[in-house]
Amino acid sequence: MFLSKIWFFLVALAGAIALTIALVMPRPAQRTLVAEEQQRLVVACGVVDILLGDDARNRVDLAGQFSRTPEIVGALEAASGQDKLDEARMKAVRDVGEKVINTIQGRKPDFAMLVDRKGRVVARVALDANDFGDVAAGRPLVDDALAGYLRDDLWAHNGTMYFVSAAPVIKRDPPVAYVGAVVLGHQVTNALAQRLVKSLDVELGFYLGKDAVAGSKSLALDVGPMFDIIKKSSGELGRDCQANKPIGVTSGKDDYTSIVARLPGEAASKSAFYSVMIKRPTTVGFAGTMKVVTQSDLSFGNFPWILVGGAFIVVLAVGIVLMLVEADRPLKRLAADAVKLAKGETERLSEDGHGGKFGSIARSVNIHIDKLGREAKTAKKDLDQLLGPAPEGGLGTIDLLATALPSVRPGGPAPSAAPTPSDFKFNDPPPQLSVPARPTPMPMASPPPKPAFPPPAALNTPPPKPPTPAPRTPTPPSFPATPPPMAAPSLADSLDDDILGGVADKPADAAQDLETHFKQVFEQFVSVKKSCGEPTSGLTYAKFSEKLVKNRDDLMAKTGCKEVRFTVYVKDGKAALKATPVKEE
Amino acid sequence: MSSLRVVVFGVVTGSAIATATAAPVTGKLDLPPPPDRPPPATKGFLDRVENPLAPAKPVAVTPWMIVVLEGEAKPSSPGQVTWELPGESFSRPVMGAPAGAEVVIKNTSRTARTLVAAEDPKLIPAGPINPTGPKSFRPTEGGKVYSISDADAPHLKGTLVVVNSPYVATVDDAGKFDFGDVAEGSYKLKVFYRDGWLDGATDVTVGNKGKVEVNPKVPALTQPAKK
Repeated sequence: MFLSKIWFFLVALAGAIALTIALVMPRPAQRTLVAEEQQRLVVACGVVDILLGDDARNRVDLAGQFSRTPEIVGALEAASGQDKLDEARMKAVRDVGEKVINTIQGRKPDFAMLVDRKGRVVARVALDANDFGDVAAGRPLVDDALAGYLRDDLWAHNGTMYFVSAAPVIKRDPPVAYVGAVVLGHQVTNALAQRLVKSLDVELGFYLGKDAVAGSKSLALDVGPMFDIIKKSSGELGRDCQANKPIGVTSGKDDYTSIVARLPGEAASKSAFYSVMIKRPTTVGFAGTMKVVTQSDLSFGNFPWILVGGAFIVVLAVGIVLMLVEADRPLKRLAADAVKLAKGETERLSEDGHGGKFGSIARSVNIHIDKLGREAKTAKKDLDQLLGPAPEGGLGTIDLLATALPSVRPGGPAPSAAPTPSDFKFNDPPPQLSVPARPTPMPMASPPPKPAFPPPAALNTPPPKPPTPAPRTPTPPSFPATPPPMAAPSLADSLDDDILGGVADKPADAAQDLETHFKQVFEQFVSVKKSCGEPTSGLTYAKFSEKLVKNRDDLMAKTGCKEVRFTVYVKDGKAALKATPVKEE
Repeated sequence: MSSLRVVVFGVVTGSAIATATAAPVTGKLDLPPPPDRPPPATKGFLDRVENPLAPAKPVAVTPWMIVVLEGEAKPSSPGQVTWELPGESFSRPVMGAPAGAEVVIKNTSRTARTLVAAEDPKLIPAGPINPTGPKSFRPTEGGKVYSISDADAPHLKGTLVVVNSPYVATVDDAGKFDFGDVAEGSYKLKVFYRDGWLDGATDVTVGNKGKVEVNPKVPALTQPAKK
């Protein structure tokens, strides 16, 4: 059983480990997934920043090309010389601007602003096209362009964000002179956001404060948490993607992880920022993992079914073999031995034939058998001591084992069908006591068994008449109904003692019964002795009853029984007495 | 345009003291080399780059300058100073006004502005200045410098310098200035640049007749201006 226990322990341990792994593994995997997603988000944010820079470079280049257009240069040179701008000039310059814009390949600007060298807006194209004459100088982008620089900026106008770029307009014919500047604006739109992230598998949103301006996907996000991060952001703008921690935002039922970065330029004063978002994985934990297991995950190509099935069969086979070897077969052997013991084919269980706990069981049973044997012998010896050596014509052997042994005894079947000795009546049929090692009790009313004793005719016939006087006066077959004068008083005296200490009537009846019993036993004993050819001279009822009383008292004191019954039987061709303790009447 | 405003300003302030004996005071600032261009107030995704066709213009310093003649004369009738707001910037980023003069901000742009003086939020009456609509106020404390701005347009900033003198003038691109008629007396000519007074003052003595021309030397402008 030891190996079986070890095996079950190992199987249970493996199961517990497997269960632990099944429950725990999704978590680190989820963390790793989230960390990877966040890292991807950071990278995507950086990529968006780079793309926005590239886009700005393209826009600045476009502004430079626009500003170098001869028609633009000529129009602004002419306007710069005027003290006052009129509508006719505005329209003329605007037409020039529209024509130039129409020649642009690719993404066209959403507006253009043509500024003379004094900083006045000569004309606008596309946006506020009828406004002119106001001073645009003062905005850093325009000031820098008028001073000869090319640059970009972000403007916010009426809730709309524009990526703007500007370039100086220079008259290149000598003398070289600045004649104005051009400003091109590209509106930040959903299409722009989609174009920026089309290869990144993320979502992008542009915000002015808490207001969404544009995005690659229409998401009703709670902008508050993102705006809070923007308000707390400091340091270099370009580091926001690395410095800001990704946060969780929700859009309806969808959860997103978002990382935010401030946008530069004038729009920064209005807390302009962009957010790169990625949908948060929904598979969290063991159940979530199980939900997304697909059929292909369980296919033979992706799952080691053979290995798992083989391991299962091996584990099962080992368990069964161990059960057979350590439990089933030893138990079967022990059961077979026990049956043999029950049948009397063996007196003891084989201890060497059983190992482990089964051997212990066999040993324990054998120890108990041995103990019972010893107790029986001891009881027998004690009775012999109590009765003393059987004198000639004496009581013979008193055997107390008749009722102490188990019903099934080693070495042969027990007299299971026989009534207990206490139930013996001299008129009852003889019990079929079949204990081979024991002398068969011989009821006086039936003839003794043939193999052991010659059938005394006296037992099968009415009590013989008193024989002729023998040298030793035999006990009369019919015991006198009244006890002898000597014996009766002694018993009566003892009974009187009992009567004095107990109830008056019942003890008197009990004494009468006892006396009757003794007399019957005496008659049977004498009869059997005669039938066995033993002398009965000198055997008097007084002596006999005295011995029985003493034996009875000793046995009651020793065993705690309430009564002792005596039966007569033949042992080794001689009459013998057997005392049987009666625990309850 | 700047020269014109200087003349107008001189006429306005000079009219207040026309009854006294006076002489015109003009001059030209001996300007130092322009300072390096400051970093841009805002920056886009890219740094600004110079165009390859022509060198970048030097920093214009004179729009950020005013000159003042400080003497015993006090502005008894300071008059009115008009400060135009034609668009995304004031007509001049630095404007001087005698203490007690009425300053009128005239919004000639197409955008309403809400201007506030950082040093005294109550200096300018609350509310937006609508296009073509003026808004006036009267600073009385001489020596104060007010930074006026619009929260909705961080680039829109102006500096109002209140002086205890009726003689304050702007400077044109060449550094010239004209106080108009100045009452007889001794004065000190001081130059304000961007956000503070430049070190040093030039003594100016005005007689009862004849034109006075002053050509003070302006110290290098690379150092931060004194407030």
